[in-house]
Amino acid sequence: MEEVVLRLEDATYRHSLYAPSAFKPWRRIRGQGIFSANLSLHKGTILGLVGPNGAGKTTLLRMMAGILPLQEGSTYDSRKDSSATLSDANLRMIVGHMPEQVRWQGRKTVRNALLEIGEMCQVSESRIDGLLKLVGLQTRTDALLNELSQGMRQRLTLAAALLGSPQILLLDEPLNGLDPVAAAAFIVLLGKLTDKGVSIVISSHQVEGLVGIIDRLALMHRGQILAEGTMLEVAQQLNLNKKTEITGEGKAPDFSKYVSTAEFTEVEQFSEDWRAVLGKSEPGLLQKLVVDGIEITSWAIRQPNVIEMLCAATGQSIEDVGLEVTSTAVLPLRTFRGEEE
Amino acid sequence: MSDFSRIMVFAKRLMRERLFSTRMYIMFPILLLFIPGMAWGFSDPNIVLPGGHQPDSPMEVLFYASLGVVFGATMCAVLLSYDSVSRERASGVLELRLSQPMPRAHQALAMILGSWRAILAPTWILLLFSVVIVRYRMGEWPSMVDCLVYFLSTALILLWYVLFTLLASSYTREQGTAISFGVGLWFLFTFLWALITTMVAYASGVSIGQENDAAWVMLEGGLDLFSPNGVYHHLLETRLPQIDRGIAAWHILVMALAWTILPSWLFVRRMEKILP
Repeated sequence: MEEVVLRLEDATYRHSLYAPSAFKPWRRIRGQGIFSANLSLHKGTILGLVGPNGAGKTTLLRMMAGILPLQEGSTYDSRKDSSATLSDANLRMIVGHMPEQVRWQGRKTVRNALLEIGEMCQVSESRIDGLLKLVGLQTRTDALLNELSQGMRQRLTLAAALLGSPQILLLDEPLNGLDPVAAAAFIVLLGKLTDKGVSIVISSHQVEGLVGIIDRLALMHRGQILAEGTMLEVAQQLNLNKKTEITGEGKAPDFSKYVSTAEFTEVEQFSEDWRAVLGKSEPGLLQKLVVDGIEITSWAIRQPNVIEMLCAATGQSIEDVGLEVTSTAVLPLRTFRGEEE
Repeated sequence: MSDFSRIMVFAKRLMRERLFSTRMYIMFPILLLFIPGMAWGFSDPNIVLPGGHQPDSPMEVLFYASLGVVFGATMCAVLLSYDSVSRERASGVLELRLSQPMPRAHQALAMILGSWRAILAPTWILLLFSVVIVRYRMGEWPSMVDCLVYFLSTALILLWYVLFTLLASSYTREQGTAISFGVGLWFLFTFLWALITTMVAYASGVSIGQENDAAWVMLEGGLDLFSPNGVYHHLLETRLPQIDRGIAAWHILVMALAWTILPSWLFVRRMEKILP
């Protein structure tokens, strides 16, 4: 087990919302947010933060970045002293934060924009040039921010997050706007950073894209961390077993003749072939199917995927998790008459 | 690099960004017309002001020319700073800044200094021009103390308007609301304050606009302490012995300090608690 670099204990942050009433037009109430989050970040690993829209991923990242103060609970730097809590200012010293969709704009050049942020964390100009090269913006250093594409802006945001040589890197939807080649290069870069001991937290809706790169997974829903660990550990926590996926040609066989119906997950019949997913592998099943003349084209045993884990953790179906409306209230618009906080 | 140096470096960058912005290129001719233009006009040896009065000292001319600062430079201060926080917040850059190790209070101070110096630099250059114009037209230099009071008072009024606008910018999510607040406040203190003074005088039973009535002069002077423009003129009037509105110098200094410290403190506090 890798060394724990940061530990959140019962970390809580609830958004303050305007709830004006006739006699108290200034009244505010505590809304949704993050409730008693317990999370450990391990050195040199990538933690995937997965949850439906409004689960509180961005809020949690902002808490870990020292942007939102912890209202309850504590943050510990486990390498120094397990009892020493970290203040927001301490967190900002060791954490690099890449917010979602920074819309860089204006007549500043790329280099000047990065220099400006760099001055806030006392970074040398040579490091800034090095970072621009690292994120593939070395040919765009004198380009104006207004001229950048979304992908270029994402790269610039990543460079800004890496400015202070952070020990922990928080990435909020980092793959948004990146072309496939840039996304692949980005993943390679993450690997290099973890090799150097940087711990990374990635929040993403593109859950399937995460599987290949994350070491650990945290499932979030309605401001709570429902499960955390390696993929295998999370699957075990959720009582999810390996599945057998079979495809074949022609008409799908009646699987009730071969296995108990409770073990079925799904059989799909297509025009010329079929696909079946069994909850559990059945000894001798392949032989029985072949003997009965059923054409099998593929046979695979796979781990439960992230979406299945998320569904199991939240108790919802795939459609519900993706489109649940009520949970978006976790990141509320702090609005007052339409626009003011 | 010390904290102070870091604030100054960051402020310098923000200043440069605003100083060479398109809106400054648009506003500079307006400032040119208002500040040295007024100095040129009021230093005309043949000028006769309402009431048959003729300015007879360089400081008096500078006092009248300060209208250019009240009308032009303060508006430019509002227009330069209205999006200092709201634009960064809307674009997400503020979130990136807030996650940096530099304390938020320092960031707030750098924002104040950057925005303030961006309008202060051209205004002071134009004030210097005004002093030279007055010397050219009247054949007499204003005293060093007069110049010092004139330059420092102007710096203060610009700071106050920058602070109001930054505060508005930090509370609003839309730049339109921020600019409306800034311009609205400018309008209140520049044009509507006379109406407020009149209303208070009427309610207090003081005869309105009677320059020879001590009660009116006292009331107008007292109410002016609650307006940045009024305090600015009070500060300049400390160098004009012929004007006495019955307000003690320490009252003026206390109010000048209050107008400086209170909004600065509010802005720093706001930035410490601001959410991205």
